[in-house]
Amino acid sequence: MKVRLHYFKNISVFKKKTALLGGALLLASTSSYANEPADISGFIENATSVREDRGLSKFRNTLQLEYSKNIGNFAGFNDVSINGTFRASYDGVYDLNDDEFGAKAGRAINIEDQNFGSVPHGQGLGSTNPDSPYFGAPLPPGHVLGVNITNNPNSGMIVLGENLHATNGGVAFGVPVRPCDVDSRGCINGYMDKTENELRFSEFNDNLDFIRELYMDASMDLDSGTLFNLKVGKQQIVWGRTDLFRVLDIINPVDFSRNNIYDELEDIRIPLWSIAAEWQYGANETFDDINLQLVWVFDEFRPNNLGQGGEPNAILDAGSFFRGFNNCWENGCTVANFAGGAAATDFGPGQIGIRHANVPSWSVDNTSYGFKIEGVYQDIGFSVNAFSYLSQLPSLRGGIEATNSFTGEKDVWPYLIAFDIEFPRINMFGGSLDFYSESIDSAFRVESAYTTGEEFANTLKPRLFSESDVFRWVLGVDKNIFIRSINANKAFLVSFQTFGQHILDHELEQSIGSDVGLPSFGFVGMPDWKDNYISTLLFKGWWLNDSLSPQILTAYDWRAKSGVIAPSIDWIKGNFRFTLTANIKFGDGAKEFSDCRTCNPFNPFTATPFHTAEGGASFDAGLGGFEPLGRFRAGPIGMANKESELQVTFRYSF
Amino acid sequence: MKIFNKIKYAVAISAMAVLTANATKVDEAIEKSFYPYKNGFPNVENIKPGLVITKDNVDIAKDVLDPEMIQHIKDGWVEITVDKSTDFILNNSYIEATKNNVGKVKLPEEKGNLQGGYIAGRPFPEEPQLDDPRAGEKLAWNFQFGYNWGDGAAIDPFYWRYRNMNSNKVERELKFDFHFLNWAHRVNHEPLPEINPNPSELFRSIYVHVEEPYDVKNTQLLIHRYQNDLKRDNAWLYLGFQRRVRRLATGQVTDSFLGSDLMIEDFEGYNGRISDMNWKYLGTKSMLLPFYNHNEQALTDEFKEKDGYKFVDFHGKGGCFPNVTYQLRKVYVLESSPIDSNHPISKRRHFVDAQTFTLPRTIIYDRAGKYWKSWMIGQAHPDHHLAINKGSGVSIDDSFGMMDVQAMHCTTGQFKGIVDPDLNEPKMFNVQYMRTSGK
Repeated sequence: MKVRLHYFKNISVFKKKTALLGGALLLASTSSYANEPADISGFIENATSVREDRGLSKFRNTLQLEYSKNIGNFAGFNDVSINGTFRASYDGVYDLNDDEFGAKAGRAINIEDQNFGSVPHGQGLGSTNPDSPYFGAPLPPGHVLGVNITNNPNSGMIVLGENLHATNGGVAFGVPVRPCDVDSRGCINGYMDKTENELRFSEFNDNLDFIRELYMDASMDLDSGTLFNLKVGKQQIVWGRTDLFRVLDIINPVDFSRNNIYDELEDIRIPLWSIAAEWQYGANETFDDINLQLVWVFDEFRPNNLGQGGEPNAILDAGSFFRGFNNCWENGCTVANFAGGAAATDFGPGQIGIRHANVPSWSVDNTSYGFKIEGVYQDIGFSVNAFSYLSQLPSLRGGIEATNSFTGEKDVWPYLIAFDIEFPRINMFGGSLDFYSESIDSAFRVESAYTTGEEFANTLKPRLFSESDVFRWVLGVDKNIFIRSINANKAFLVSFQTFGQHILDHELEQSIGSDVGLPSFGFVGMPDWKDNYISTLLFKGWWLNDSLSPQILTAYDWRAKSGVIAPSIDWIKGNFRFTLTANIKFGDGAKEFSDCRTCNPFNPFTATPFHTAEGGASFDAGLGGFEPLGRFRAGPIGMANKESELQVTFRYSF
Repeated sequence: MKIFNKIKYAVAISAMAVLTANATKVDEAIEKSFYPYKNGFPNVENIKPGLVITKDNVDIAKDVLDPEMIQHIKDGWVEITVDKSTDFILNNSYIEATKNNVGKVKLPEEKGNLQGGYIAGRPFPEEPQLDDPRAGEKLAWNFQFGYNWGDGAAIDPFYWRYRNMNSNKVERELKFDFHFLNWAHRVNHEPLPEINPNPSELFRSIYVHVEEPYDVKNTQLLIHRYQNDLKRDNAWLYLGFQRRVRRLATGQVTDSFLGSDLMIEDFEGYNGRISDMNWKYLGTKSMLLPFYNHNEQALTDEFKEKDGYKFVDFHGKGGCFPNVTYQLRKVYVLESSPIDSNHPISKRRHFVDAQTFTLPRTIIYDRAGKYWKSWMIGQAHPDHHLAINKGSGVSIDDSFGMMDVQAMHCTTGQFKGIVDPDLNEPKMFNVQYMRTSGK
């Protein structure tokens, strides 16, 4: 009860209004119109995962109820129904393995230093701690280096990326990993600031996510013969024809903290308050079916949940980077191998890092909208889609005012690794097709999308980001194949998909450092691949009247050279369902890219001979390592390379 | 000149006489096709109403039951109660359409579409002949363009149970609603004879929606069959847990449907293109088939319906046999064998009810030619069923049992068939409807 009161107290006025709307919908379903009995179903489930080297990574217990009630005809509409999905879960990992993922997680850390091997957090160059090997090192007068060790003690932390790779001469810093009510360091207000209870009970948050869906569905037969369908409320609106990849399926953001990219999208889409109005024209002289859908998402903006530092599932480990880097901004931090590419350096508060996240508040301008024309022409299913929305992924924009570590001066410093998180507006234009090829007895699915307004990290730009149009596509092929020696009567499903992404305004070049052959100097510019491809292959069979279904799902990122293979077996017995999955990662894992240590934001103090030769200009000379930008090359599969798991799920449906 | 005129008149009179004779012959053929019991029901020695065929007396029924059913009775798997035969007269509009269009179509030279512009009705009402090598094909077309569920009907609800024949346990229960719509060759409900626009020239659509259990809830299946018999069906599956429509590859229509003992191709006895099979007519017999008056059967009230409707019960080995009475019927024995060598079966032997052209009994053989499945579809008289079905002239599919005798497993179906065009509006039979109504 305490938990609930806390959440209701903190929810925004908009959320209260939408909650009232939800209440009204539920009330409508109990009105005198509602003669039909409600359809209630659901499940209870335990999902347990064990991860290599980390132990228990999930012990999630879920109760989900699905509610549907027809209330008949209302206000000119037919078949009006109120539909709801309510989900409550408790993840016991924060109690059962709390020294890895909970209130006791983390430890005192050492940060790599090329001169001394390593130094404790807070004892790098600029430290005033007499125990620091750099104590008394000569520094410019007026410098403001030095970690606020009182606010940022060496405890409850890990080294950025330590679960995937060694620092290996690159940059790293401490990442606080305890829940934000236990340790508020690095918690980004309104974006990544979950308390222990919000981690344990992930639906009980300011967004009232225990109301997973609650919407009214109504239809009206228009005089023209068109069927008009209206869905209003908190809902998922699903576009597209492919599995796993979100080329057109972008209306709802996604909660990657649940199980990275491996849960069904149905379970990890974040439902939003929205209106979907659809005119179903049916067949005409040309099309077998043609429909127009208009969508307006009037909810407050919600980004993807990437998982925060300290959560078991944090896609790209971005949450750790953000948390550690926000801590740098707030309290200062020790950065590995920084000064001269060798000395662990104690930056002070307000010098480098992430200042804050500008999560857009509600306004009409911040809502999302779009349309879809979908139909069937001869044997081809097709759609044309357009959607304008705020990016569900964060963009780190440099060019904010920060303090010069060596002079104490506040200004906007080009190429300084000091950022605000923004969510720019993106416009997407796309389409999809599906068709069946009789000659090869296969069904094909195609999706493509062209977006404008996306932002990418770019060390060639003074603000360290740039905008680019992006073209994405997915081609999927489904084929049923009999292998009668192992299953005489039931075909196996083989489903192959390839996802492609092309960044049109991509910028990448050899750095000046690599031009002269310096080790650890490489490419500069945009770490994301200009062209990249991820393929998936599903091989699935069924036995015992479909009650036993083993499958192998593989995914491979061709440029990251990282993959995952996930054999699983699914067994249904009455109302019980048991699923056992091994999620095994393989391949290169972490990737390197320039980290902007040699960007010379504070000339002349940070200048290399390359910068001096250019008159003290700021630019990226190309020294790099795994962190932080290598994650964009490793991708979500490569960054989870050390997260192989054994996953067991028990479900009882009712 | 007079002589010439006489000859002319004589020729004209003779021609008219031939035409009249032919017309009479055709009328008789149609009459015989739709009213085969006008001169009485089949009479077979020892097979009388009230007879219960058990393992002890099954030999008396060896000529009126298929060998596989005889064996099941001998094995004590089931007992069959005989009731009196009844007329299942199809809707008059279908009979009239047959009369209006008779003789206008003929078989194609090879596989393909009927030649001559088929409109509606039974395309080949004449009695099949054993010396006609294509008699089987004609029977298949009569089934394909049969009155079946009329111009459209629904089965709602439709309970399927997966049963273990060894343990007698029900392993799984699914609750569906099925909907059928004829886009073309319609005879009864406006618009006639075709719903327009129909740009892809659809013949028939089947829409299936799963209501229970939870793990397959909201799964939907849509099948479009085209007037062009050489064109493959299109099929789409909406998966509730994905909220996506997936186009099905054709291979999936010969797969187990949702883990049951049926493949999509088994629906209604045979659910596919005529050109996918070789058809062979094997003869005409009097046989016992599950035709009955629903309201007079031993029904079960285990599923509650607000209107008090009760479903057919099951009995016998594993509870796999509809507990209904059988009656002597005029039957065409028809064999179909797949043209595709990769097809999971080698042949089906259909026992076609001559009056209704339904397929109440089919035996299915595996690729090796061994007996694999026993397919029974109970046919209920529309005048002894739901009030709305009275006078519909539809032989109502009312119960089914599909036994996999190799796996000792069966799937049973309990129907609430409703012949009501309002439940089967064209808007239901498009892909977008699946997305909209999915969740």
